[in-house]
Amino acid sequence: MNDFAELLNDLILSPSRNKKIDLLKNFFCKSNLKDKGWAFCILTNRMDRKFVSVKELKELIIENSDEDLFRFSYDYVGDLAETISLLWQSNNEKNTNINLHEFMEIFSNFDHKNKLKTKLKYFLDRSSENQRFTIIKILTGGLRVGVSNGLIKEALKLSGVREKSEIEEFWHGFKLPCTDLFEWLDGKKLPKYINRKKLFNSFMLANNYNSNEFKSFKTDDYIAEFKWDGIRAQIIFSEDGKIFSRNGEDITNSFCDINTFIKGYFVVDGEIVVKKNNKVLSFNHLQKRIGRKNPSKKLIEDYPIHFIAYDILFYTSVDCRALSLIERKKYLNRFINICKFSNISTSSLIKFSSWDQLQNIKETSLNNHIEGVIIKKKTSLYKKGRVVDGWYKWKRNPFSVDFIIMYAQRGHGKRSSFYSDFTFGCWVDEQFTKLVPVGKAYSGYTNDELKSLDRWVRNNTVERFGPVRSLKPGLVVEISFDNINYSSRHKSGVALRFPRFTRIRWDKPISQVCSLKYIKDLIN
Amino acid sequence: MRKTNINWLKKKREGLFCVPGNFFIDPVFPVEKALITHAHTDHARPNNKSIFSSKETIELMHLRYGESYCSDFQIARFDEKIKINDVTVQIHPAGHILGSVQFLINYKGYRLLISGDYKRTKDKTCLSYEPVKCDTFITEATFGLPIFNHPNDQNEVKKLIKSIKANVNKTHLIGVYALGKCQRLITLLRNLGYDETIYLHGALTKISNFYSKNNIILGNISNISECSKSEYANKLVLCPPSSLNDKWSQKFKNVVKGYASGWMRIRQRVKQKNIELPLILSDHADWDEILKTVNDVNPNEVLVTHGREEALVHYLTKKNFKSSALNLIGFEDENE
Ligand SMILES: [Zn+2]
Repeated sequence: MNDFAELLNDLILSPSRNKKIDLLKNFFCKSNLKDKGWAFCILTNRMDRKFVSVKELKELIIENSDEDLFRFSYDYVGDLAETISLLWQSNNEKNTNINLHEFMEIFSNFDHKNKLKTKLKYFLDRSSENQRFTIIKILTGGLRVGVSNGLIKEALKLSGVREKSEIEEFWHGFKLPCTDLFEWLDGKKLPKYINRKKLFNSFMLANNYNSNEFKSFKTDDYIAEFKWDGIRAQIIFSEDGKIFSRNGEDITNSFCDINTFIKGYFVVDGEIVVKKNNKVLSFNHLQKRIGRKNPSKKLIEDYPIHFIAYDILFYTSVDCRALSLIERKKYLNRFINICKFSNISTSSLIKFSSWDQLQNIKETSLNNHIEGVIIKKKTSLYKKGRVVDGWYKWKRNPFSVDFIIMYAQRGHGKRSSFYSDFTFGCWVDEQFTKLVPVGKAYSGYTNDELKSLDRWVRNNTVERFGPVRSLKPGLVVEISFDNINYSSRHKSGVALRFPRFTRIRWDKPISQVCSLKYIKDLIN
Repeated sequence: MRKTNINWLKKKREGLFCVPGNFFIDPVFPVEKALITHAHTDHARPNNKSIFSSKETIELMHLRYGESYCSDFQIARFDEKIKINDVTVQIHPAGHILGSVQFLINYKGYRLLISGDYKRTKDKTCLSYEPVKCDTFITEATFGLPIFNHPNDQNEVKKLIKSIKANVNKTHLIGVYALGKCQRLITLLRNLGYDETIYLHGALTKISNFYSKNNIILGNISNISECSKSEYANKLVLCPPSSLNDKWSQKFKNVVKGYASGWMRIRQRVKQKNIELPLILSDHADWDEILKTVNDVNPNEVLVTHGREEALVHYLTKKNFKSSALNLIGFEDENE
């Protein structure tokens, strides 16, 4: 338990991603199999349950301490686990030194609900402050130690012999307490209970457009489809259907308005978008649905999900991945005809006869929610990852506009001593007297530019609010962004997609920056 | 102040005022006569006409404020009872920082003890706290919540030494309060056998040299500006907390940031300040020390000031002490 408590504490305090991966890797290397398995389950919130309620915890601490002192302390600290772990009077009992897996086995098999508090008190009395904090965090679920699944996958890759794509595919297949996951990582066979048909399959990914390569391509050999600004998803249609995100996370619960129930087994690749009155809406709308488990009826009605299918991996017993794209498209159409779900459709092909024509279509396409086009070789098979001579994304040229820097905020981790996050804006109207914030950017500059920006911020501060400084209007920067749309959430009424620095225009006078009207006119 | 036994103590705009003695204690604004418990800037301010305190506190004020430290001073000694108007005053060590004292004020046989900031943990840079029996005790409550339970100081400093050994290519940048914490951390490091040169931010050198002159052994200390950039790796550098995230700290590339403070007890605070290496090291009494002190000085009334008064007043009242909060303004929450 102590090693795991230390791990959690170190993870909370580590500023950098690499340091966190390192900590996890070291823990996975040195711990025994059972502890590793449980640690993995805890960190990925796999139990998905609360062993003890907030009410029970409060009762325990009040019995142990004092109701008012607890209230004063909790008001001050803000976090229940931390308050209790600091406040607990342990009466100097000897530390139990119980292993993580022994502890977890006790609580996951505990069925005398009325004795739970007594058991928990026993352990709290025999633990250090850090261990108490860990115990409470485990038992209440939801650690929030800044460790994403992506980070854990990276650490698993480094502590065994498996590729990240394999880990992603089988991630959801292992059962509590996941000791066999670590055996598999070391090279042993998959456990027999794993049902491949319920699991994620690695995506085929698109290469970036390369103009030199393209010159030699014959247009006849390729098809083109629009690249919608949504989220990539893989749907398993079966009696126990699932929806997976691009990195293999199970997002079924967020998009329950997609019906995945069907007899048979079909795995389809495509894009999730919001579509209303026959129109695909912007990514901002989709954002209201992302990460919201079990959305309300109202949310579903306001932001109805649509799935644009563009590929198929399995058609019942047929492994379509070994077929050419053209063959797969036929199977995909057959599937769409069978399922007849109104919010699932196939992606339509773009008619074009030359690359110039396609480029023209890409740039002039009237819909703002198109990021560009995807070009796919007709004979290509469906393979994991980025494959040479497979798929290519050809992005629409980004928008590029000059803005004025308005606020700066200190960054995180390595950048914590630099002002690295910037709010930029433009003039409210043609009076050119008042500014309105339009967006935030924190990338695109070089390290040297960051230093110069930081210096400028410190010399041009008007006011400070905690980590944020408001700045004298004076510095113009060129910001690129992939897309722009109306937004009611922003003061400016617009939202930019992925804004980043492309140039710092030290000499440009702020009077030459545009007004909000110009920005809004970019939305067609 | 409600319910207090003492009707000769007043709260004024300038601070706490003793009527029969005609002086203020740690006033926030300049006054005719001030008794100063210790030289931290929220207790000792410049431009008072006459100040009364320990020799070290007066010298530290002179060092910090130059000629505006006061127009006139009187050095108090531990073995003397000084008559000031209608009261007598005696100082006793407070164990907080070098020169820190408590004031025992006697008016017509009634004994008022003003602790200023204090702690009960042993600290080689100052005299240990001396409990004195009194009738009314004014205590600080900076860490006046039962969640504050300062761990062993040597174990905290061992964490720092361990981190230095484990990260040889990194600079350790530790935020410390310039007066007291800085020098205490250095002596703790020396006692644990760390004998490398310790580098200081410019804002810490003056006071550290003053400590050295007062026979507190700090070993080899040096201003970081005398060290070239290529030599930063594996160095231990102390700086004021505010410098941890300012422009000055940017010159250190590969760095572990730490902060030595009682506030490091709370993870949320540690996270907020982007601290990777928290060292729970405080010059204030924690909850248990406050309670122990109240028991030791055995007053029939406790007045609680700056910090988390509410919880302490509540608890003392429950334990049958007459207790109330003395809400003084001008004391910064964060300072140690
Ligand atoms: Zn102080």
